Order: sequence, then C-alpha cells, then structure tokens
Amino acid sequence: MANVDRREFLKLVGAGGVGAGAGFMLAESIKHPVEYLIPYPVPPEEFSPGIATWYNSVCGMCPAGCGISVRTREGRAKKIEGNPLHPVNQGRLCALGQAGLQVLYNPDRLTGPMIQSGQRGDDKFVKITWEDGLSRTAERLAAARRDGISFLSQGVRGHLAELFELFMGELGSDRLLHYDFGHPHALYAANRKFFGEHQLPYYDIRNTRYLLSFGADYLTNWLSPVHHALGFGHSRQGNDGHRGRFVQIEPKMSISGAAADEWIPARPGTEGFLALGIAHHIVADGRYDGDDAGKWRASLADWSSDRVAGLSGVSEETISRLAREFAHAEPALAIAGGAAANHTNAVDTLVAVNALNYLVGNIGKAGGVVFNPDPVTGGSVIDRQANYRTMQNLIENARDGNIDVLIVNNTNPAFTLPRASGFREALAAIPTIVSLSSFMDETTLMADVLLPSHTYLEAWGDDMPQPGVGFPVGAISQPVVAPLYNSRSTGDIILGLAGKLGFNEAIPWTSMEDFLKDGWRQIYERGRPESGDFDAFWRDVLVSGVWGENARRDDSVVIAPGVIEGLAVSAPQFSGERGDYPFILHSYLSTAMYDGRGANLPWMQELPDPMTSIVYGTWVEMNPVTAKDMGFRDGDLVTVTSRFGSIEAPVVTFPAIMPDVVAIPIGQGHNALGRYARNRGANPIEILAPETDSASGNLATSATRVALAATGRRAAPVKTGGESRQLGRGIVQSTGGRSGSPGHSAKLNSIPIVVESA
Amino acid sequence: MGVSIVPALKVLKPAARIVVVAIVGIVVGYFANAAFFPGTQPAQPIAFSHRIHAGDNEIPCLYCHVQARRSISAGVPSVNKCMGCHREVAADRPQVRLLANYWENREPISWIKVHDLPDFVHFTHKRHVAAGIECQTCHGPVETMEVVSREAPVKMGLCLDCHRKNEVQHGTDCWTCHK
Repeated sequence: MANVDRREFLKLVGAGGVGAGAGFMLAESIKHPVEYLIPYPVPPEEFSPGIATWYNSVCGMCPAGCGISVRTREGRAKKIEGNPLHPVNQGRLCALGQAGLQVLYNPDRLTGPMIQSGQRGDDKFVKITWEDGLSRTAERLAAARRDGISFLSQGVRGHLAELFELFMGELGSDRLLHYDFGHPHALYAANRKFFGEHQLPYYDIRNTRYLLSFGADYLTNWLSPVHHALGFGHSRQGNDGHRGRFVQIEPKMSISGAAADEWIPARPGTEGFLALGIAHHIVADGRYDGDDAGKWRASLADWSSDRVAGLSGVSEETISRLAREFAHAEPALAIAGGAAANHTNAVDTLVAVNALNYLVGNIGKAGGVVFNPDPVTGGSVIDRQANYRTMQNLIENARDGNIDVLIVNNTNPAFTLPRASGFREALAAIPTIVSLSSFMDETTLMADVLLPSHTYLEAWGDDMPQPGVGFPVGAISQPVVAPLYNSRSTGDIILGLAGKLGFNEAIPWTSMEDFLKDGWRQIYERGRPESGDFDAFWRDVLVSGVWGENARRDDSVVIAPGVIEGLAVSAPQFSGERGDYPFILHSYLSTAMYDGRGANLPWMQELPDPMTSIVYGTWVEMNPVTAKDMGFRDGDLVTVTSRFGSIEAPVVTFPAIMPDVVAIPIGQGHNALGRYARNRGANPIEILAPETDSASGNLATSATRVALAATGRRAAPVKTGGESRQLGRGIVQSTGGRSGSPGHSAKLNSIPIVVESA
Repeated sequence: MGVSIVPALKVLKPAARIVVVAIVGIVVGYFANAAFFPGTQPAQPIAFSHRIHAGDNEIPCLYCHVQARRSISAGVPSVNKCMGCHREVAADRPQVRLLANYWENREPISWIKVHDLPDFVHFTHKRHVAAGIECQTCHGPVETMEVVSREAPVKMGLCLDCHRKNEVQHGTDCWTCHK
C-alpha cells in the first residue's frame, strides 16, 4: 500500500466527493420526469375520462355537405371521420374535411367581438362586449335606409338560410346575397334553360358505363367530390364485371383527368363545339331515334366533325369515335365543369353537353341525369347565389353611396374577386361594415365591427345537400365541443340583432337551437315516421346524423321549348390580344386550399398537390416545349401579367398541359387570414379579367390571356415528389411520338414530349 | 526493449489514484441514488393513507377509481368524491382540513403519479379489470400502504411475463401495446 500524504488524501477525498455527486446527478437525470394525476373537483357529466364520445354533424368546409362523425375525448375534438350513414359521403371524407380540426383549434381565430380603433385595414382592433357589439350594429341597421342594408354571406342552406331571409325581410331589404367563388352558376343556368329545372340534377356516376367529362374535376372539387369518388370507384369495380370507361377533355390534366382512360386536350373554350360535334355524329349516324330527331338533325347540321376538328384541335377520327362509343354504351353520362364551365360561352357549352345526355336517353335513368326533388327547406337560396354580375351590381351601388351597412358572413370577396372588380375600393364607400366571420380574412380586415361566429363544430345548424342525391336528405349540424372562445353561433348573432331591433313578432326565437327544433318539428310532421314523439325523432336524427325521405321524382323528360332550335355555341372571348398575351390562363381550385379557405390550415399547406407534389406555395405550370422555347427552367421566377395585373410565381414544367396554356392553382397569396396563410405564394384570381358569360352572369375565369416574363430570380418550389428522373430504371415507357411528324419537342427529364403543329 | 514504461507509470501514479477514486465515487453515487432515492414513494400533497381507507375501512378500489372498469385510465377520485364522506367524517383532522381547503377553492389536487408508463405505451385498465386481474397484482398490497409506493418495476418485462404466463392472445405482439 503506497504512502498517501495529507495533500494527496485531501485530493482523493475531493475526487471521491465530486464523483459521488456526479454519479448521483447522473442517476437523477435519467429518471422519468415527475407526472401528475389531476382529478376534477367535480366530475363532468358529459364525458368519462379515457372514453371517447362520438358526435354526428355536418362538415362545413365546402358546399358538398358531407356528414361527419367526430371523436371527442374529455370534451376535445380529436378526429373527424365521415358518417357511414350519410348518403352523400357514406363514411368517407376528403382532406379538407379532416382539417376541420385545424379550423376549430386554429390559433388565429377571432375570439370575441371587436371594433376597429384605427383606420380600416389597420388591424387595430380592440375588444368590446357582445352587448356593445350588438347594440352598435343594431343602431346602424335601424338608422340605415331599407335597401341600404346588404348581407353578404357564404353559401348557406337549411334553416340558417331561412333565418337570413326572415331577418332581411324584417329589415325590408332585398340585398341578401350568398357568394361562393366556386358556385356553378353556369350549370344552374344551363339546367334551367334546357330542362326548366331550378335544382341541379343528380349525376349518377356510380351506375354509368361511359363517363364523358368536359373539364369537370369531379373527384376533387366539382359539386360533391367525395360522393363522386365513391361512384367512380363503383363504376370501375363494382358493376357486374363491367368496367366503366372514363374520358376527360380539358386543356390541363386535373386529378380526375389523371384517372381517365383517355385524356383529350381541346382548345380552351371549344368544349361546346366538341359537344355539338359529337351530338351531330350521334344524330347523323342514326343512333338517335326520338320523335324530334328531325329537329335535332336540322339544328346540328352545321356541326360536322371537320368543322369542329378545326375549331377544337381534336381530330375528326376522335370526334366520331367518341360519338360512337358514347351512343353505344348504355348508360352513358356527359358532365361539364371546371374551365369548360367558366368561359364566356359557358351556358351554351353546358346546354350542348345536356343535349348529349338527352340524345343517349339517360335522363331520369340510372347511370344518367336524375332530377332532384326540392329540398325540404331552404330551396330558394339558389336565387340568392351571387354571380359576378350581381357582385358588380353591389359594387356599383356601394360606389354610388347606396349601401349604408354591409354585413359579411364568412365569405371573402376581397380575395376571391378579381382586382378589376373594384370590390376593395367599393368597401371604402360603405359607412358601416360588420363581419360575422370566424377569421381575420382580407374582407374582415376592412370591417368596423367584428361579431365572430362559432366554427361549424361549435354551433347548431342543419344542411340539405345540394345538389341532392336523388331524394330529400337532411342532416343536423350539432356542436361537438363547448365553444372555445367568446364567439357566438351565426344564428344566435342574427337572433340577438333581431331582438335589439324589436323584430320579436316575426322572429320570436331566443336561440338558434330553438329555431332549428321548430323547423324540424315541421319536417317531422311531414312524414309522421314511426319514431313516436318529436323528441324521440330529434334524438334519432342526431344519433344517426342524417334524415331522408324515400321520395324520388318520376316525371318524364321534358326539354324546354325552343331549346333544340336555339342550340348554338358562340366562340369563346378572351381578354387580351394573342400577340401581347400569348398564353391562356387556366386557374383552378386547388385540392387543399379550395378557394383559399384552406390556406390557414397547416395540414392543407403540407398536403402535396397530387399532380406536381408541390407544397407551401404557388406555381405556374407550363408545357416543357413551351418552357424550352421561352428559355425557362423549373424554379425560374416569372411574372404572369394580364391586362389587369401581375403576379409572380415559379415555373414548373408539366407535360400534360397544352402548349399555349399556363395553369396556376388558386388558394395562396393571402395578406391576411393568419400566420399560416399570410405572405405565401400568389393569388391568380387577382389578375383575372372581368369577363362574364352573358347568359348566366358568371365570371369567366377561363377567359384571361397572360404574358410571362423572366424576373431573373429563382424560387424553386418545395416538392415532396423529389426525383422525377428514371435514372435508367425504365419506369415510364413512352412511344416518343410518331416519327417524321412536324412540330417541336423537348424532354421532361427522360420523357420525350412532342407537340405537333396543328 | 530499451524503453520502459515504469517511469511513466510512476509519474502517473498519483493522477491514476485520483481518477480511480473518482470513478468509484461515480459508481457509489449512482447506486446511492438508486438505493435511497428511488422515487418509488413520492410525497403527496395530502398524506392520504390507503391503509386507512382500503385496508381498515375496506372501501373497494373501484369505489374511488371509478373508470378502471370501463376506460383506459383508472382515474383518480374527484375532490367531491372525497368530500362525499369527509364533509362529516374526521373533518377536524389536519389532513382532512387540507382537503376541505382544496374543495372550498374548487382546486384540483395535484397527486404525483407513482405508476407511470411512457407516452408511447398503450395500456388499458378496462381489459385488465375485465380479465379479472386483481389491482394488487401490479400495484402491490396497496391496502397496507400508508403512502403509495411502487412495488413492482413498471417495465415491459412485467407486462411480458404476465402475458406469456397467461398466454394472452396477441399478448406478445408489438402492436398490441406500442400503437
């Protein structure tokens, strides 16, 4: 044993002590952190901890009106699923529906009434009480001229729509408008013109054997996408060994187009000519033997396939083949939407497509066009849907000083109307703007008083989906959580205002829930179902999440007089000369953002665009041949300029787009709507030309020509798709185009793209 | 060899001794922590004694831990459950007065969790109670404890042992618990 002197002894003691301390702390640091078990002082009655409760309700993310089942734990909404019993979506739900949770728990929600303390647009809002907010608003409404009161809401159905009607009726104003960017005005107008029908029909994609779609992106955002997806799946795999065929005609491949058996690019705006050309063939080849065949033949005489081929760029062989296939399949169905329904000749085009359905005899039959009965309530809202012409009217009235008070409810025209409309400027001429919106979007930013609504997951309401599914359906939207903040349900806000204005006779209800129950009492009395008393009926409807009636229409087909003779499609008009603006702008509703409402939802920002896999931005899709000719590479930042404005976006080469068309998704480009939406991407709606389809007043969003110019900067879009080169793996087999054909070519990585000159 | 390491060792000897002692110190400190401060019996905000309630007074476990039979978590009794008896019973005792304080302020009691599983483990009391397993099997002889202590290490081995012995269907499947 070596000698240890005192100094060394002390060093050893010190070392041992420090070591022991270090060892102790090491053991301490790898222990679990302390967790607590915290009970309630008084346990709640509505739920048991650890056990999930499901509530059925109605999705409020888009106009389709799918039924949802929401799983809640301890009073918090955890997951939204589709309600299996609802006939629209039958247990399925789209991505935007799932993101409803992020609407409810969004950190940028308006939490209570506020007033603008600075200048409009300053975002200097201060909190006030509901009493104060309702009183101020009621005062302004009482002082306003009768038709100086304008109510601009998002599209609303069911009993809330009825409440709006009652309220505006009492105020003595007819200026009640529902404004949705994506509302299919031209389709409604075409059905009115062709069939005299007020409601949209049910397009039975499920049972059809040949679906011919003129631009309708029906799997993504045309009418009722979840329902269509179910139907499409069935038509492909569910029909007694017979696989339905699907042909898509559009200038840029949409998600639905990517699922097509045949994808046909036709010159933008010529879809109507194409439909008439196909109709011409069906009649000329003797495949239609109705009594009015003579009239049809006469009316379609001019639309021979060589003429139509010249106009549309689709070959004569294709046109006659489509006609043969379409007439041969039984049943066949033709639908139209997207760009085809948003040209200046939209109504004509859609009428021509209706003609196709008539000629193959699918009206009123399975797999075809099935008329819908009127919904049990709220059927008149169709007339309140504001098209561009109506909005222009409102803007002009505002500018002329005819509007005293504007109430806005969860709609955002400052974003979804083109700059050229002058909407933002017109707001300045309206003395009082009140917003009932749940978020600070571009329009609400310009309001004077904010009376924020609950989100759809916190409020009572109901919905009768439109277009219907062939029979009356209704569903109640019930709160799935207690309200998070000091907002109120839209219905309760209106009832509160009605109370302050003294409308107690016509509007005696004190809550939206009461109003709803009263309305449903009447629905209950219609059928006298077996469920006993009304309370039992109400409970049944809430528990199942849906109500329906087995009442289908069986009237025979009558087309409006003069339709056959008046069958014509005019040439599409475009804003801007081809020389100055060589490209046609194809702006489309994106999967995730829809019309921009999804931009403040992080899940939707994360969701890759299915065709390009891009996230978190805006981009310009361009044919690779065009890009090569113009010297653009992927990621080059370009300006896209129309006669009415300019935006910037990076180029993305995309093979399935016509060479003189560029496509930009709608949804980004916000300067409000919260932290996730702001200052990201660009909004193509801004630069759209104020062209309309004269028959319907619909904004012709497909009618804008643009010019592209390099900025010299780059802004590579963020893709999840990564490497698109084959690297010798032989993944994509291509034929490389016909040899010796005139035209020019480029390569999208290793895929040769050839554009033949017409 | 002409080079010897012995001189080097001689120089290092004092430093080596210090290092060795330090290492021994670390080991001792670590195990001292484990032995004397294992954290298996944390001091709770109120000195609640299971021995008095579940042992002497024979109150069944499920009377207070209500959710165990039908939920993933057994739950801890709400303050008003305690007050159900203690409005009258032993109301003058200091600990019961502490409890009454919480109740008056409607303040929940922050009990410290003794049996804690990591967040990535899915454990459901409902299934285990339904299988007829006694609470004491995992939680030990709680009815004899003045202060609740963790008798068995709540580690995967404990779960697997029992799942294997009782041949639980899918009991050793990773997905059963890790989901």
